[in-house]
Amino acid sequence: MRVSPLTITSYTATCAAGAGREALARALASRRGGLTPCDFSATPLGTWIGRVPEIERAALPGDLAAWDCRNNRLAWYGAGRDGFTERVAAARRRYGAARIALVIGTATSSVGATEEGYARLLEDGQYPPELRRPIIHAPHSLTDFLRNALRLDGLSMTIATACSSSAKVFAHAERLVRLGLADAAVVGGTDSLCGSVLFGFHSLGLLSPEPCRPFDRDRRGISLGEAAGFALLEPQGEGPLLLGYGESSDAHHMSAPHPEGRGARLAILEALASAGVSAEEVDYINLHGTASRKNDEIEAQVVAELFPRRTFASSTKGWTGHALGTAGILEAVITLLALERGLAPGTLNTESVDCACGPQIRLKNEPRAIRIATSHSFGFGGSNCVLVFGRERLS
Amino acid sequence: MPSTQSPAEHELARLIVNAVNLEAVAPEDIDPEAPLFGAGLGLDSIDALEIALEISKRFGVQIRSDDEENRRIFASLRTLARHIEEHRRRG
Amino acid sequence: MRRIELHVQGIAFWAPRLPGWERARAILRGEAAAPAEPAARPSPALLAPTERRRAPDTVAVALEVAAGACASAAREPRTLPSVFASTYGDLAVSDALCGQLARAPLETSPTKFHHSIHNAAAGYWAIATGCAEPYSALTAHQHTFGIGLLTAAVQTLSSGTAVLYVAYDIEARGPLATMARSRGILGAGLVLDTHPSDRSRMCLELSVEEQTGCIPTRARAQNEALVAGNAMASCLALYEALAEERAREIVVALPGAKALRLALAPRP
Repeated sequence: MRVSPLTITSYTATCAAGAGREALARALASRRGGLTPCDFSATPLGTWIGRVPEIERAALPGDLAAWDCRNNRLAWYGAGRDGFTERVAAARRRYGAARIALVIGTATSSVGATEEGYARLLEDGQYPPELRRPIIHAPHSLTDFLRNALRLDGLSMTIATACSSSAKVFAHAERLVRLGLADAAVVGGTDSLCGSVLFGFHSLGLLSPEPCRPFDRDRRGISLGEAAGFALLEPQGEGPLLLGYGESSDAHHMSAPHPEGRGARLAILEALASAGVSAEEVDYINLHGTASRKNDEIEAQVVAELFPRRTFASSTKGWTGHALGTAGILEAVITLLALERGLAPGTLNTESVDCACGPQIRLKNEPRAIRIATSHSFGFGGSNCVLVFGRERLS
Repeated sequence: MPSTQSPAEHELARLIVNAVNLEAVAPEDIDPEAPLFGAGLGLDSIDALEIALEISKRFGVQIRSDDEENRRIFASLRTLARHIEEHRRRG
Repeated sequence: MRRIELHVQGIAFWAPRLPGWERARAILRGEAAAPAEPAARPSPALLAPTERRRAPDTVAVALEVAAGACASAAREPRTLPSVFASTYGDLAVSDALCGQLARAPLETSPTKFHHSIHNAAAGYWAIATGCAEPYSALTAHQHTFGIGLLTAAVQTLSSGTAVLYVAYDIEARGPLATMARSRGILGAGLVLDTHPSDRSRMCLELSVEEQTGCIPTRARAQNEALVAGNAMASCLALYEALAEERAREIVVALPGAKALRLALAPRP
């Protein structure tokens, strides 16, 4: 199956390492990560998180008050960076609001608001009045908010496949445009820190007591992060390109990867085939690299097997934390920044690579001409997605 | 002939059956010396986490998921009950 | 307006008073009475005992209809990409998890956390069948059924293979039930393909109606009553039409007051 390349005419991301492209690019270049000791929960959890401080100062405009909650405030703040909302408005004028698809990925959506409702239940078993807004307690909350905030009126959906969610949105959007069901698409995601994920990952023993160190021999688990990221995809225009994608399932275990990396391998190979590129042509890979013992071991093996020594591969979760459903779009943006600026970020916090790693996995940043880049997202429930980006169409 | 459960082992057997929703097994039918994991009762690593959680709530004994001793501690109902007894006394 | 021609190869359904497609079909046609007593939740045979004992209601009903649709299409599950659609996901798990977080967050159950992800059912399906094909798990709130069906159709066209579509919702519990309205359990499955096979039941021509204001089709009142209150109940109109096996047009709601037109025709 060959993909019809789409141009990414606008893109933005906000995370613990920086709000907007410039801040994020500076943080990557200067090796300044955004992880801090977890201060999010009243119950102490000896872990580190990638918190976005700007959310606490963000507010929704009055006409969007019905969707007010922390996750949607992060989404609003994030969509407002890099002139993204203005570019969407211009696209609306060009294509018509009904011809722009909205495909958004998230794992948390605004479950934080539901958690708050339960924590502050009134005597009669009701939520406090200010939380009695059904939409913010539904998984579609974020997408419904964005539909209204961006004034889009086309096909819209929430993709919720855990850590691959906001990578798969690119695939869904490409299919809609290729089949004529939309003329352009807004894709992206927003996930925010909340009790469910903090204590959920804690219960699985997956949280690191120190800032995460992907692919490190002595890595001790993941650092959770929050983020918002968005991209505008059009059939023509100025900007880097989505050249292809691959999707697969591990079909092994809900929270552990296939021991031979079967799903990861399938997704990588399909992505390359869909873009018509070979492994040798990939200059940079943004790895999933969560710093969990199992993910990194398997992912390292698959990369060592499929790619030549010269491929530069790194995980950027040491800067941002693992943004769960929003990791896909956040790391797509980081990959696009690398592509456009010719700087491959290394792997922050990591000191000595695990023996499973091949020569591809790099720790230091490196200036490098990047023509083709890929991004890996491998999620809970075994859902995998690999995206291929490039600076120009391939003949 | 499987050995008999002590009262502490029986209490622990009931905890396990409830914690992991074992449908087809009655607590008193768990052979205290048979393997808990793999073939025997078919428990896996997620079940181990659930059981450790319940043990922590009921007995105040923490079993960390990355403890290298876990293979030994979780080997059978008997070894698990013994571990709980030892750590309760120290508490 | 883009038209997509599909063939319905497999059909499955499960609700407490429409338990399984064989019985549901007869009931929806008015040829049999619905059971007086609602059936308890299904117990899908393909789940290994370890997974079956842990499976929440969403997984039980989704896998039951997934397996049913594949069997009715005589298709190996491991060959099919799939789309799993649910308005709310697992409302019982959400209630339990949020309650636990409010009381004693350090006692959060890892199993419950696994089950709280929107793709839990899809993930369990992939594990149970060993299916490495991609799956999507989605929601579009009150438009979930239509968006999910359209997504499955798009996947079919794009990959050139048959695709499994599963839609489901369960009952809301606890304080969350004041915000998320859904009663009972409902699962609906289809296997769709662009090519007919000797298992094809109906042709289905799908098009997105650009005009707003089309009224979504409803099932007959006595049938609607059987799934009343479930968040996915609006899917029943299509299943009633599939049961009737005659030429009909069904309108399914899409966002922005638009609609999916489904022109059904018996296979020639």
